Order: sequence, then C-alpha cells, then structure tokens
Amino acid sequence: MKDTLKFLNLVGALLMPGCAFDVSYVKKTPATFMVAKASLPDFVLQQDVKVGLGTGFPTRLNRGTHWHQVGSTELGAVFVTQDQIVTVEASNIYEAQLIVSNQCITGFYLPVEKMAAPVSPPIHIIQTVN
Amino acid sequence: MKKLFALLFIAGCAVLITGCASGPKYSALHNTEPALASGNARVYIYRASHVFGCAVQPDVKVNDQVVGCAVPGGYFFFDRPAGNYQVSTTTEVKRTLSLALDPGQQRYVRLNIGMGFFVGHVWPELIDNPVAEKEIQNCHYTEK
Repeated sequence: MKDTLKFLNLVGALLMPGCAFDVSYVKKTPATFMVAKASLPDFVLQQDVKVGLGTGFPTRLNRGTHWHQVGSTELGAVFVTQDQIVTVEASNIYEAQLIVSNQCITGFYLPVEKMAAPVSPPIHIIQTVN
Repeated sequence: MKKLFALLFIAGCAVLITGCASGPKYSALHNTEPALASGNARVYIYRASHVFGCAVQPDVKVNDQVVGCAVPGGYFFFDRPAGNYQVSTTTEVKRTLSLALDPGQQRYVRLNIGMGFFVGHVWPELIDNPVAEKEIQNCHYTEK
C-alpha cells in the first residue's frame, strides 16, 4: 500500500511540472502611447540581449536588428523592428514593442492590450545609431 | 498474445493516420491561394508536429470565433482587416496569443503542444516568416 502511494506521489510530481495552468503572468501597467512626431534616430542592436520579466520565459533580442521609433510611453521611446518577432511570454504570449530610455530597455509596450510590461532593473544596451 | 499486439498496432496506426491532415501540401497550394484584399492581412496557422499529441485537436479561435482546428501536420489561413487580434486554443486551459496585423502583412502562427495534467496543452506562437515558411512547407491544408 505504501509503495502504491509512493508511486502515485511520484507520478503526480512528474506530471505537475507539465501542468502549467495560468500560473505565470506578465505584470502589466497602463500606458499612454503617443505616436512619435519627431522621432529619435533608428539604431542597430550591437549584442544579443536576453530580457526577463520574471515569467520564466525571457525575450531574446538579436544582435544586428534594426529598430525604428514609432511612439513613446511614460517608460520611454517605443521602437519596433522588422528583423525579428518580439513577444513577451508567460502562460499566454503577447506581441510586444521595445521601450528604451537613456540607452536602457525599460520595458515592453503591448500594442494589443495597450499596456506596458516594465523591465526592472532596466537593461543597458549597446546600440549604433543609424 | 501476438494477435493482441497486432490489433493494438493496427489500432495505433489507424489513430495516427486518421488524426493527421491529408489535404494538399502548402508547397503545392500556396501559389494558387486567392489574392489578399486591400487593407487585409493574412495569417497562416500550422501545426508541424505529426505524431506527438495527435489525439488533441482543439478548435483555433480568433477573437473567440472558430477559424479552424489544430490538426497535426495541417495548416489553414484566414484574412482579417488590419487591427489587433487574439488567437486562442483551449484544452484543459486556454492559451492565447495577442498580435497586431498591418495591411498586406502575412504572418505565421505555429501551434505547439506540451504536456498537461489530463490533456496536452496546445499553444499558439508567432514565428518569424523565414523560419515558418520552411516549417510549413510539408503541412497539409485543412478546412474548417
């Protein structure tokens, strides 16, 4: 009987990690998006960057990607790229745009949700201005 | 005993065969697809995996409207006006992907499958076009 219980516990322990119900959330804050009138210069990312939001699914930004400003929020200027897909991921996945302030990634803007996901602490990036 | 194994083998093969998509391949059909209407975008949904979790085939919804089914080895597409959308699948949990569509855009969403507690989870993931265009080549068209 004890062996059976041990076996069931083991099976349960093995199954639970695969469960991943909605236990992982992207922390989002309301953001006011303003379309860029006088945009900052485009830039090229000079190194691969891994940006974590504490969800266990970091967003990877590739070296050599070109970024173009489309607007701004309270967290900084909002940039997009045509060179890679940018998403933030938890239990669900959100298409995202990059928020940069003072050469640091300060968050992601989620255009569908019209919210921002702050990055804390901000991550410094090396960029070449085009 | 041998007969039992033979029966199980045949039943397993039948499940695999009937559970997979069988329409024309993307590589054959893609060039004959209807042109995209002005102001619309096209989204391809595909599930490259043929075997793993083949019994799990949830509906695929766009803004809660069914547009197709997550058939292993299958693909389909839908056109929508530019705007914001949510692609979702539900097994024992709902998984969503939020994406924005621009006019004339062509985007690819891959359906991945992972372990669940009772039933596998299927989740939609936005894939870079060059990667998706390779992965989708051998997928078969499935109708709703």
